[in-house]
Amino acid sequence: MGRSKKEQELLLGTLDMLILRTLVMGPAHGHTIAHVIEHTSEDVLQIEQGSLYPALHRLEDRGWVSSYWGASENNRKARFYKLTAAGRKQLKVETHRWSEMVGAIGRVLTNARRAED
Amino acid sequence: MSLRRYFRRRQWDEERVRELEAHLAQETDDNVARGMTPEEARRRAYMKLGNPTIIREEIWKMNSFVSVEDLGRDIRYAFRQLKHSPGFAAIAIVTLALGIGVNTAIFSVANGLLFSSLHIRQESRVIEVGWRQKGLSWQPTLSLPEFRALESQTGDVFSDVVADQYGLDGLSMEGAKPARTFTDYVSGNYFEGLGVQPLLGRVFTSTEGMTPGADPVMVLSYGYWKEHFAGDPAVIGRRVMLDSNPMTIIGVTPQGYRGLNTALAVQAFVPLAMIVSIESQPVADWDKEDARGMRVYARLKPGVTEKQASARLAVLARRLATEQPRAEKDTELQPFPIYAGRNAGFDPDNTTGTVAALFLGLAGLVLLLACVNVANLLLVRATVREREMVIRSALGAARFRLIRQMLTESILLALCGGAAGIGLGVWGSDLLGSANLQTDLPLSFNFGFDWHVFAFSSAVAVVAGALVGIVPALRLARANMNLVLREGGRGVAGGGHKFRDALVTIQVGSALVLLIIAGLFTRRLVESEHADLGFDSTRVLTMMMDPGEIGYNDPRARDFYRDLLPRMRAIPGVESATTAVSIPMGLLDQGTDTVTISGYQQPPGQSLPTVDYNVIGTDYFPTLGIPLERGRSFTDADDEKSLYVAIVSEAMAKKFWANQDPVGRQFTMSSDAGHPLQVVGVAKDARYHGLRGAIGPYFYVPFPQHYAQNSLLALELRTGSDPAGMIPEVERAIRDVSPNLPVFEVKTLHQALYSPNGLLLFEVVASLAGIIGTLGLVLAIVGVYGVLSYVVSQRTREIGVRMALGAARGDILKIVYRQGMWIVGIGLVLGLGASYGLVRLLHSMMAVSRGDLVPCLGVSTALAAIAMVACYIPARRAMLVEPMQALRME
Repeated sequence: MGRSKKEQELLLGTLDMLILRTLVMGPAHGHTIAHVIEHTSEDVLQIEQGSLYPALHRLEDRGWVSSYWGASENNRKARFYKLTAAGRKQLKVETHRWSEMVGAIGRVLTNARRAED
Repeated sequence: MSLRRYFRRRQWDEERVRELEAHLAQETDDNVARGMTPEEARRRAYMKLGNPTIIREEIWKMNSFVSVEDLGRDIRYAFRQLKHSPGFAAIAIVTLALGIGVNTAIFSVANGLLFSSLHIRQESRVIEVGWRQKGLSWQPTLSLPEFRALESQTGDVFSDVVADQYGLDGLSMEGAKPARTFTDYVSGNYFEGLGVQPLLGRVFTSTEGMTPGADPVMVLSYGYWKEHFAGDPAVIGRRVMLDSNPMTIIGVTPQGYRGLNTALAVQAFVPLAMIVSIESQPVADWDKEDARGMRVYARLKPGVTEKQASARLAVLARRLATEQPRAEKDTELQPFPIYAGRNAGFDPDNTTGTVAALFLGLAGLVLLLACVNVANLLLVRATVREREMVIRSALGAARFRLIRQMLTESILLALCGGAAGIGLGVWGSDLLGSANLQTDLPLSFNFGFDWHVFAFSSAVAVVAGALVGIVPALRLARANMNLVLREGGRGVAGGGHKFRDALVTIQVGSALVLLIIAGLFTRRLVESEHADLGFDSTRVLTMMMDPGEIGYNDPRARDFYRDLLPRMRAIPGVESATTAVSIPMGLLDQGTDTVTISGYQQPPGQSLPTVDYNVIGTDYFPTLGIPLERGRSFTDADDEKSLYVAIVSEAMAKKFWANQDPVGRQFTMSSDAGHPLQVVGVAKDARYHGLRGAIGPYFYVPFPQHYAQNSLLALELRTGSDPAGMIPEVERAIRDVSPNLPVFEVKTLHQALYSPNGLLLFEVVASLAGIIGTLGLVLAIVGVYGVLSYVVSQRTREIGVRMALGAARGDILKIVYRQGMWIVGIGLVLGLGASYGLVRLLHSMMAVSRGDLVPCLGVSTALAAIAMVACYIPARRAMLVEPMQALRME
C-alpha cells in the first residue's frame, strides 16, 4: 500500500527472482527466505516480509516452486518451499535478463557520464 | 488462476493463516532470543510482517474472479443503499420511468411503422421501384406493361421482379352476405420472389396470374383465416365467392406476413390477372401503358448494388420513353428502399419519417430532463455521502472502486426505472395502437413489442444510468479528502453549485422547447379544424358500398344507385342525397387523369397537365354545401346518350381559361378520349386532400356518363338534424333495395375528416406533443424547486449570519430570488434560441407564421411565471430563517 504502483511492479519481478535464487540452496520456509534475502543483500533490500507470501503463492501457481509442511529448526510446523525444475530454468532466464539489463543500464550511464565530461 | 483453486480457496486461506501464524511465531522466538519481552517480541514480529489480513486478502483475490465478485457486492450494496432511502429511490425511479416510458412508446410506434420486419427473405435486398414524370414527384405505382418490361429486361440486376395491386372486394360463403376484404392482387412469382412460404396448402406459381380470369384461386392471410375460418385447416379446397366470382382457397400465409404495407393488413391474396374478372375491368384498360396502379418490388441479384440497379432502371426508362413516346414521355424509374414507401410516398420530406424523427427527438428531450433531475438528486445525495466516501477511501478503498460503486447505484436506479418505463411504454404504445382511426379498413398498427424495442429501451436505460451517475461520481473522485474531513461534514459546498445551476438551466430550456413545439402543433390543429375547406361538413352522413361485391355488373350497379337515391330522399329528415367517387380526405384513391384542353396554350416541353376529378350525382353541390359560381349543375338529362359535360373548379378555370368564361369550352380526359367534355358550370374550390397550401385544379363529371368501373361509391346525405341518429333508418332503406350489400365506413362527414389523410395525424401529433410538453414542464418545475430548496438549506447558516448582521428579510428574499431568476432567465433564452432553430428545421412540416410569435411568448411567460412560484417557496423559507436558530445549528 505504501509504495507507489510503479515501484511495486519493479519489485515484483525482482522479488520473484530473489526468492528463486534463495531456494537454489535448498528448501526453506517463508521466515528463512525473508531473512536470507535481507542478509545476503546486506540489508540493502528491506522487503516487507508480508509481501513474500503473495509472491510465493504466485510462484507456486506458475509451477516454479512446490510446497509441503515440515518441521522448522526449532521444531515448529512450517511450510517449506522447494525449487522445481521449471523454477530452476526460470531462474536462469531471469538472471540472464537481469544481467543484460544491468549491463545495458551501465552502458547508458557510462555514455551519459562521458557526454557530461 | 484455475477453477479448481477458486473452489478450494477457503481451504487455501486456512492454510495461509497457519503459515503466517508459523512465521509470526518464528519471528517472535527470534526476537525473544534477542532479549525482548514476549509482548514486545510479538509486536515487533507483527510490524515486520505487515497486516496478515491484507496479505490473505491479496492471495484470496489471486484465487478469485475479482471483478465479477466485486460487481455482485456492489449491486448488493447499492440495493441496501436504495432501501435505506426509499423516498429518493422512488422519485428517481418514477422520473426515469417517465423518461424511458415516453421513449419506449414512441420508438415502438416508429419501429412498427418504419423498421419492423416484413417477414420476407433478406428484406434488405428487396427494393421498391418508383416512377415519375420528369419534374413531378415520385409515385409508387407502375403500369402492367412497365412491370412486364422490368421483368423481362432487368434480369442482369434483379433475380425477381414482383408486382401487386390492392383492391376492396366482398368475400362470401355460398348464400351468405359478403364480408368486405382488403385484397392484394399479386403476380404469380410474388410469394416465391419475396421468399414467403405457405403455412398451409400452397402459394401461387409463376404461371398463375398473367391470363385474365384463368386462375380462380386464393390464398388467405393468417389473420383472416383465424378470424373468419376459426383457423380451420380444412379450409384448403373450400369454394367461396369473391365479388360473386367462384374461387378456391388453396393456401394460408404464415403468421407474421401481412403484405408489404405495415399499416394495412392484407386479408386475401389473388393472382394478378384475376383483377380483370373480379373487378370487371376491361382488359384493354388493365393493360394500358399509363394505367399505373401496381406496386413493383424487385430483389437485387447477389453482388449487385443499389447504385447499379439505379443505373439499370435509368437505361430502361430511357428505352421506354423512346419506344412509347405517348405514354412514357419523360418517364423516370428509380429504386427505393422498401421501407421508404411504407405508409407514405417517396417524397424526400416523407412525413412519416420526419414525424417519427421529431418525436424521437422530443422524447429524447424528456429523457434528458428526467436524467438531469435524477442527476441533481444524486448530486445532493453525493454531497451528503461525501464523508462516507472519504472515510471509506481513507480506510483503503480504491477511488475507482468508489466511482464504480456510485455508478452501479445509478445504473441500478436506471434499470429499475427502465423496467417500469418499458411497462409504461408498452401501455402507451397499446393506447396509441388502439386509437380509433375512424375507418373500417383493416388499418392496424402493429406496435407490438419486439426485440428492437427491448434493446432500444434497455440501451436508453443504461445510457441514462451512466449519464445520471457519472457527474456525482466524477465530482467525488476529484473531491479533496482533507478538505472534506476538515469541513466537518458540511460537504465540499460551492463547486457543485455552478454545475447544478447549469443543469437546471438546461432543464428550463428543454422544457420551453417542448412546450413551444407542443403549442405550435396544437395551434396547427385548431387552425386546420377551423380552416375553410370549401364545403360544409356539418349534418352530412357518408357511407360506402360497392354493388360489384355482390356481383352486379356496371349497368346493374348504375340502376341500383338510380333506384336507391329517391328512397334516400324520401326518408324524413334527409334534405338531399347524392353519390360520389371521392370523399374529402378519404382513404381511397380518387379519380385523376391527364387532360387535353382545347384552346389552352401548353408551355413548351411540358407533358399533359394532370387534374383530379370526382364522379358525382345530381345533388352533390347542395349536399356538400359547395356553391356553384356560374353555369348550371348536372341534371338527370346528363346521361350517356346526351352530350358529355363537366363542371370545373375555380382554380381549374383560372389555370386554363384565365380571364375567359370557361362555360361552353371543351376538354378531353386521356382515359376517355372519345368523349370530349363540355364545361357547363364553375364550382367554388374545395379541399379534397391536404389541409394546407394552394388548392389545385379539380373537375366534376356526372355518374350516369361515367358509371363504368365506378361501382364503389360513397353515398352522401345532408340531414336536417343529427346525421348519426339517422344511420339505422338509412341502413334499413339500403337493405330494402339489396339485402346482401355490405355497407361500410358509415360516419358523419365531420368524422370522416379525422381520417389518417386528414386531421387525424394532426390530432394525434398535437396530443402527443401536448403530453410530452406537460411532462417536460413538470420535470423542469421539480428541478427548479428542488435545486433552490437545496441551495437555501445549504445557505441557512450564511443567511442567519447576514440577518444577524442586519440584512432585512426582503434582502434575503431578493438574494434567493435573484439566483433563481438567473437560472430560469438563461434557460428561457437558450430554450427560445433552440426552438427557433428547431422550428426553422421543421418548416416543411409546419409553416410558421408571425402569429405563432404570440403563443411562443405566451408559453415563455407562463413558464417564467410557474418558475417564479417554484422559486418563491424556497425563497420564503429562506426569508423566515430565524438567525439565532441558524447560527446554533452547527
